[in-house]
Amino acid sequence: MSTIELVTVDTAAARVPVTRGRRGWVRLRRNPLALGGLVVVVVALLAAVLAGVISPFPADHTDFASTLQPPSIHHWLGTDELGRDQLSRVLYGLRVSLSVAVLAVGLSLVVGVPLGLLSGFYGFLDPVVSRFTDTLLSFPFLVLAVGLAAILGPSLTTVTVAIAIAGVPGVIRVSRSETLRLRGLDFVAAAVADGASDVVVLGRHILPNALNTLIVQATVAAPAAIIGEAVLSFLGVGIQPPTPSLGVMLSAAQPLFRDGPWLAVFPGVAIVILTLGLNLLGDGLRDAFDPKESPR
Amino acid sequence: MGRYLARRLLESVITFILVTIVVFLGIRALPGDPARALAGEESDPATLAQIRTKFGLDQPIWLQYIKYVNNALHGDLGRSSRTGLDVSTSIRHALPVTLQLAVFAIAIAALIGVLAGVVAAVRRRTAAEWAANGVALLGLSVPSFWFGLMGILLFAVAYPLLPASGFVSVFDDPVQSFRHLLMPAIVLGSGLAAIIMRQTRSAMIEAMGTDYVRTARAKGLGGGQVVFGHALRNSLIVVTTIAGLQLGGLISGAVITEQIFVLPGFGKLTIDAVFTRDYPMIQGVTLVTATAYIGINLLVDLLYSVIDPRVRVGGAAL
Repeated sequence: MSTIELVTVDTAAARVPVTRGRRGWVRLRRNPLALGGLVVVVVALLAAVLAGVISPFPADHTDFASTLQPPSIHHWLGTDELGRDQLSRVLYGLRVSLSVAVLAVGLSLVVGVPLGLLSGFYGFLDPVVSRFTDTLLSFPFLVLAVGLAAILGPSLTTVTVAIAIAGVPGVIRVSRSETLRLRGLDFVAAAVADGASDVVVLGRHILPNALNTLIVQATVAAPAAIIGEAVLSFLGVGIQPPTPSLGVMLSAAQPLFRDGPWLAVFPGVAIVILTLGLNLLGDGLRDAFDPKESPR
Repeated sequence: MGRYLARRLLESVITFILVTIVVFLGIRALPGDPARALAGEESDPATLAQIRTKFGLDQPIWLQYIKYVNNALHGDLGRSSRTGLDVSTSIRHALPVTLQLAVFAIAIAALIGVLAGVVAAVRRRTAAEWAANGVALLGLSVPSFWFGLMGILLFAVAYPLLPASGFVSVFDDPVQSFRHLLMPAIVLGSGLAAIIMRQTRSAMIEAMGTDYVRTARAKGLGGGQVVFGHALRNSLIVVTTIAGLQLGGLISGAVITEQIFVLPGFGKLTIDAVFTRDYPMIQGVTLVTATAYIGINLLVDLLYSVIDPRVRVGGAAL
């Protein structure tokens, strides 16, 4: 009886991810930089979710008696040409940036992971999917995103979809190579020998074990998505004013360089802190889960 | 090697054909009628029809595609529907701007990236390594367009040392060209510098632990000679290849850099074309960009296979 249990579906599937994952988390906790990144990301998420509660003014509250005020006790980050409080707008902007990042990365995972799994598992699909990714990769990210934004018309949805599509090739490549790697391992062969269907092999054996790598890929894609949103909105093909996105704020700050230089500083600082936090977390996760792939 | 080369070439050709189809159809999906955009707001149907015939917009879509590909292969990318100028001529005028910017940016990125990478690898666990790692992380985290804005704010507005915009060719006036391109090149090269630094660092750490470096040391060679003459020389092969993969990213970076510093290059041409719905121009620039991208990737892959034979042997499996 026990010999049969060794090769059954559940034992094989459950053991591997738990040990590998737990070891990774222990390693992550010993990495102060990664923990710092995690704190930054959590604080940013909280600030974005609670923007309505913690921001001192509504994001679109104008005050023509105090336009273009430099940072002060009253307005920590100053005000713009319409007297809008910049701290409040940065907090709401953070909400926009993070929701675009989460939705875009999520969308590219939803599209990319199945394609990557299938192309890694079924050899005959591989050339088709690979040509698809190559074609997508033949367009520089910005050219692709700007083109998509032009097709769909500038809006929050456009930005999200454009960034998601730009992120799909990376997700396909990562999940495909993980599938190829795992397919050759003994526990997958055991499951196949045990009579597990393709769906079970892919869904219960390969996907859970590819999860760590996919999480790392997501933390790599998230800062790119945040910068992507800012760039597209800055160029005017993304989120439109008066929605307070960080890119929109920077775009509006450009003609006011002489009168209100702080307008260009703080939204950018917010982006830098956020992407820095995500990059530190991503580096830490990669070190923890996949030390071989780490660039360090 | 021959079979690998043939396979990669075939793949590249297929990708190229797919790209032409995507470019062609994608542009048709753009909202707005180009004939109307060209004729202006108050246009009568007769003028519209005339413009459609002139630019071939009234023909069936597959015929437009075949004509397009045929012309493109003969170097004719059509005429801009906005300026009426030849697309290929406009690209030829814009390309040198972007190329000068890109070469300058790569030079800066290579210089900073390789030096910082060597320092970080040789002086491990020192303040120098921390500083180099920190700067690399910043280079990856600071969005280049904001970096550019801060540069203009500091060095053109607050302390007017450098011009905020404009382009002077290096062949006309090298000094003015340097002044105009310095900030854009640093902005464009910052991300690449960070990537080169990380690659150099990891390749150097590996090289410093190898036997040939130990042998060089045992022969009594000086530290500098071992680091630069032996370890770095071998590390650079890998670094060059990986940096080559990032060249395509420079095209993306150039789009935003040129927009901020108002440089009349390829990137600005792209953005302007998208904003004015200049179909032939968008097709032209994306086609040129994608072709360059495919070419670079092919070259890098082949280089890779020369360096690491496992790629061409096991390439099909992994």
